[in-house]
Amino acid sequence: MKAFNKLLISDLRQFFRDRTALFFTFAFPILFIFIFGWVFSGAGDISYEIGLVKNDSSVTSEGISQILRQIPIFEINEGEKTDKLAELEEGNLRAVVVIPDDIDTNIGLGQPVDIRVYYDPAQTTSAQIILPVLKQAIDEVNRQITQQPILVKLTEESIQAHDLRDIDYLVPGILAMSILFLGLFGSIVLVERREKKILKRFGATPLNRSTMVFSQITYRMILALIQTLIIIGIASLVFNVQMVGNWFLLLGLVLLGTLTFISIGYFAVARAKTTEGAMPIIQIIQFPMLFLSGIFFPVDFMPDFMRPIIAIIPLTYLGDAFRQVMVDATPLYPLSLDIAVLIAWLFVCMILAVKLFRWE
Amino acid sequence: MKIEKEIPSIVINVDHLVKSYGVIKAVNDISFQVLQGEAFGMLGPNGAGKTTTAEIIEGLRQADSGRVSVLGLDIARVPAKIKQRIGIQLQAPSLLPLVTVQEILQLFASFYKQSIPIDDILELLALRESRKILVKNLSGGQQQRLSVAMALINNPDIAFLDEPTTGLDPQARRSLWSVIEDMRKKGKTIFLTTHYMEEAERLCDRVAIIDHGQIIAMDSPKELINTHFKESAIQFELEPAPPEVVLQTFPGATQVMVSNSEVIVYSNNIPTTMSAILKYAEKVNLTDKLKDLYVREATLEDVFLKLTGRKIRE
Repeated sequence: MKAFNKLLISDLRQFFRDRTALFFTFAFPILFIFIFGWVFSGAGDISYEIGLVKNDSSVTSEGISQILRQIPIFEINEGEKTDKLAELEEGNLRAVVVIPDDIDTNIGLGQPVDIRVYYDPAQTTSAQIILPVLKQAIDEVNRQITQQPILVKLTEESIQAHDLRDIDYLVPGILAMSILFLGLFGSIVLVERREKKILKRFGATPLNRSTMVFSQITYRMILALIQTLIIIGIASLVFNVQMVGNWFLLLGLVLLGTLTFISIGYFAVARAKTTEGAMPIIQIIQFPMLFLSGIFFPVDFMPDFMRPIIAIIPLTYLGDAFRQVMVDATPLYPLSLDIAVLIAWLFVCMILAVKLFRWE
Repeated sequence: MKIEKEIPSIVINVDHLVKSYGVIKAVNDISFQVLQGEAFGMLGPNGAGKTTTAEIIEGLRQADSGRVSVLGLDIARVPAKIKQRIGIQLQAPSLLPLVTVQEILQLFASFYKQSIPIDDILELLALRESRKILVKNLSGGQQQRLSVAMALINNPDIAFLDEPTTGLDPQARRSLWSVIEDMRKKGKTIFLTTHYMEEAERLCDRVAIIDHGQIIAMDSPKELINTHFKESAIQFELEPAPPEVVLQTFPGATQVMVSNSEVIVYSNNIPTTMSAILKYAEKVNLTDKLKDLYVREATLEDVFLKLTGRKIRE
């Protein structure tokens, strides 16, 4: 126990004295959150430029103009019909709304008035977002003119506790990525110490190998917990991503994930002779996992033939479990299955690592 | 309380040890004993099998055949028990780079049931000043002394030192020698491997000269020299060097060694051999080319040269 504690303390000391390690473990994931956070929050501010053509200043056309200007995602650009249509064709406007002349007169006579919307179907956002909004706006105009009360109303309610934004989806993914790095790269330390004969030096003392390995694993788990707190802290303070689930469950998953990726890493480099030889092996494992596990974007976007790979890699399950627990996302798999798959990977790789690892 | 029945006077017993790497027999049937309180040296060129032999005794490698017992225990059976009581300094291991001297000594002390106070070991190896320096910032000499300190931290019954002064400047080497001499005086058994003849001569009670995995001679340095050389050595440089057949005809010459322009003539009659050398130089008109001529006592280096026909550092 004395040796275990001393080993753990010296590993932690070494870590906090190593600026490169500090950066990659703590600053890197935070940087990731900020970059993605800014990219996605920018997306929320998008507005659409709409051309408006009205040839009189009658009460109704002014009213319509007012209502359109109040819609936050629209930026209204008034002008002549021919100019506006030309701009639409050039792609500078998303749509052009044309209010016919004599609108007041016609309404006064009780005749229906035709407000025309020109749009470019090649621009999918126009059809999907602008037209429904415009329809709603015109309905509102109609209602004000006819003064009819609203009898049937649609209220939207999400089945999730709160709406998931892109950043909400992403933060659990970044946590999973950090755990992946922390676990996999842990094995490099052992290879490096073998290469530099530090393991041999330890072997010349009564120190047990298992004591050494357990202290390494414990050290990695402590880093994982610190990393988790930092990531969740930043995400909640800066981007208002709230951790909604059970903290014990989350931290348990963090530890399980760390263990799983440590054992995968140990297995992967069991026969690697040098650090230079071990690095590419770790990277070959890490890259497909990062991009196929759906930690950065939903797996629905992936082509079908990728499905079996997605369903095998452990990071898929860790990311899914984190999303469920942290932001209450729709499960990809039941949480119990996520945990079972991670445990299965852990045991298989641990047994292989113990069998195959070369100490000398 | 466990009472040892008797303190064994033989602390290391090596019996017909064999270890091969592929076709190369690194250790080829080596047997010897080391006595309690003795400073025992294995002397030989790099690749002779010294380190392999030492590491089998230390339990870091497995022998192909043969038996080793350390402190009366079988290293293959109870390695942990033996490792509590021996201290090992490895040839050039790098240590954890980002811990301090003091921290790494505390770490290694925690691996043993008993250990020397850190302050004492720092004092012993003159590391007190550098105790707060990170390992990666230590000089070569400091690293080497730290490495020895780590081998002594558990107050071992036997200290294994593998090339402890390699890469040290002469001053640092001498100060490490006096540390080893002090340990020797305190009754510790020391197992030293080295390719420095001077080191073996100065520190060791007994030396085994090892070459190509075999012990070719074993005795105290003095006896080794006396057995193989009743004569002294005359050493000089001459370009071109006289042919060996000519040198052998010089009166008093018993053996000659020529490598390039460097010549060693072993002689049991220094004045007559010396005058023959000078006459030869005169005759071939090379008196002004004769350099660094001197007479010295034979050393272990000469013993090695005589036994193997090679210089130890070639």
